[in-house]
Amino acid sequence: MPLINFGSILTFAEEIETQNRDFYVTITQNSGCVECHDLFAQFVRDAQKNIKNVQRVRRENVTEMILEQIRDFTRDPFCESYEGADTMNAQQAMETALKLEDRAVRYYGEAAKKLKAMSEVSRALKMLAKKHIKYYNKLK
Amino acid sequence: MSVPQMQNYINGEWVSSQSETIGDVWCPATGEKIAQVAYGTQADVDLAVKAAKEAFPEWRETPPLSRARYLFRIKDAFEENFEEIARTLTREQGKAIDESRGEVRRMIENVEHATGVTTMMTGYTLEDIATGIDCYAHRQPMGVFAAIVPYNFPAMVAWWFLPYAIVSGNTFIVKPSEQVPMTQTKIFEILDEVGLPEGVVNMVHGSRDVVNGLLDHPDIEGISFVGATPTAKYIYQRCGETGKRVQSLGGAKNIVAVMPDADLDAAMPSLITSFFGCSGQRCLSGSVLVPVGDVADELLEKFTAATKAMKVGDGLEESTGMGPVVSATHQAKVLGYIEKGLAEGADLIMDGRNFTVPECPNGFFVGPTIFDNVKSDMTIASEEIFGPVVSTIRAKNLDEVIDLINTRAYANAACIYTQNGAAVREFKYRVKPSMVGVNIGIAAPMSFFPFGGAGNSMFGDIKGHGQESMLFYTDAKVVIERWF
Repeated sequence: MPLINFGSILTFAEEIETQNRDFYVTITQNSGCVECHDLFAQFVRDAQKNIKNVQRVRRENVTEMILEQIRDFTRDPFCESYEGADTMNAQQAMETALKLEDRAVRYYGEAAKKLKAMSEVSRALKMLAKKHIKYYNKLK
Repeated sequence: MSVPQMQNYINGEWVSSQSETIGDVWCPATGEKIAQVAYGTQADVDLAVKAAKEAFPEWRETPPLSRARYLFRIKDAFEENFEEIARTLTREQGKAIDESRGEVRRMIENVEHATGVTTMMTGYTLEDIATGIDCYAHRQPMGVFAAIVPYNFPAMVAWWFLPYAIVSGNTFIVKPSEQVPMTQTKIFEILDEVGLPEGVVNMVHGSRDVVNGLLDHPDIEGISFVGATPTAKYIYQRCGETGKRVQSLGGAKNIVAVMPDADLDAAMPSLITSFFGCSGQRCLSGSVLVPVGDVADELLEKFTAATKAMKVGDGLEESTGMGPVVSATHQAKVLGYIEKGLAEGADLIMDGRNFTVPECPNGFFVGPTIFDNVKSDMTIASEEIFGPVVSTIRAKNLDEVIDLINTRAYANAACIYTQNGAAVREFKYRVKPSMVGVNIGIAAPMSFFPFGGAGNSMFGDIKGHGQESMLFYTDAKVVIERWF
């Protein structure tokens, strides 16, 4: 599915953050992943902040000037499954979390380039990429 | 199936109209009935004016900074409900969700700008205009103002006026378009939570009777209107007869010139947005595309290809580039213009008739339409179509473009794409329209600049928003003072 405009790019970012949050919430409730609970609880709090941040960026930067089409950008390379989180063991949870964080880093990096004409948005997306690099490194 | 009934908001309460005339509200993407609205009466107008008039004395005594604080609260409430307003807007008006978000953003920007009342509303003074005599000019609020707003921007346009009116100490009545009453109702639900004093803002739904009721009411000081030119002219005349202040913004036929040296690839996204954004239903939309010199063939090839790549569909889908037009009636009107273009001999190079969206078989869609070899005296080159129809007129040089622009009755906006500074200087200096875009397809002034055209595109002296709004909503009271 193509990401052809400002709204679809930011809305997909919101989806990514929401998926991450939902995954981490499920793991914090999974008794087979007790060793992940503290770290993932922090990730849940961060994801919640990130969702609000993405919504704010979308709200504050949408103007007629940027309702212009964006090319060569689709959701497909950034779709990751996290099904079965409630029955995962700790190692599976960590592996899935790494995939989700890697996908977020890649997505924000690419989205920042696609929206580079909008410096404030691009800056916000780069900051989100940095945050996810931090999460990725923590998981490693 | 029952649908929501829109109510008036008068004196801080939701009130049902006594009118027996009920109109339906349609979702343009699906063709479903989604709400009903009573077409208010003179009695509804009288109630709203009474409430606004009674609220005025106390409101005008409220310090400007305190009034501005209400606007800060309104801004916060709008931010919190941003997405809900945008989705309601798309549902009843049809435009793409990003366009609705952009509209809500512009609405909020006016609230933000109006919070600067403490610097915008100041008067001026001069000591010793004669020996021992000083003079002051204050800006005083006047009373009750009203806005009559159109269907194409159901959220924003009322807010080009309301924040400035109330922050300067007036009270206000909004009449939304009867075709799209849900968005402003949602906005007033949010306002209701903010806790403005009763009667400071009021909303009356309806059609012609409400408009005439407002125009003729002796207790209304001024009217702001945005809509079609015949109505704008009517409102201007009628307000003249009843002695009201008026700013009456009408239609447009905007020309977008593309010079031979224009960077076509860089220009293409904004050209597409200009002609097809909001399905061409905005007074700043490009309507006539004018390639100058030998750029025409290459421009049309790229423009047509980019148009074909645009997704047309339900505005609530994030990837939709263009939604339907607002109603079945308007759809028929736009299609009628396409037939007229063909009958008058223009070449139809992209045909938007019989356009269907499989997921929305009952939607009011008109496909993107492009005419070539249009002549300046054809109907589609002169009349406002207000739909996704591009009339291409090929011009030999810049003089021809400027002549074409200055011979249209409308003079709202004009745009030029070029890398040539001298051509730009010539263009912006000589064209009559009041809003000019240079490598910009939609020359939309932001809240801190004045919005409005010339010629048949605007009747009145003071334009919408910008610093000028304070002049419209206040009287300059001059005090000449001497002490013995």
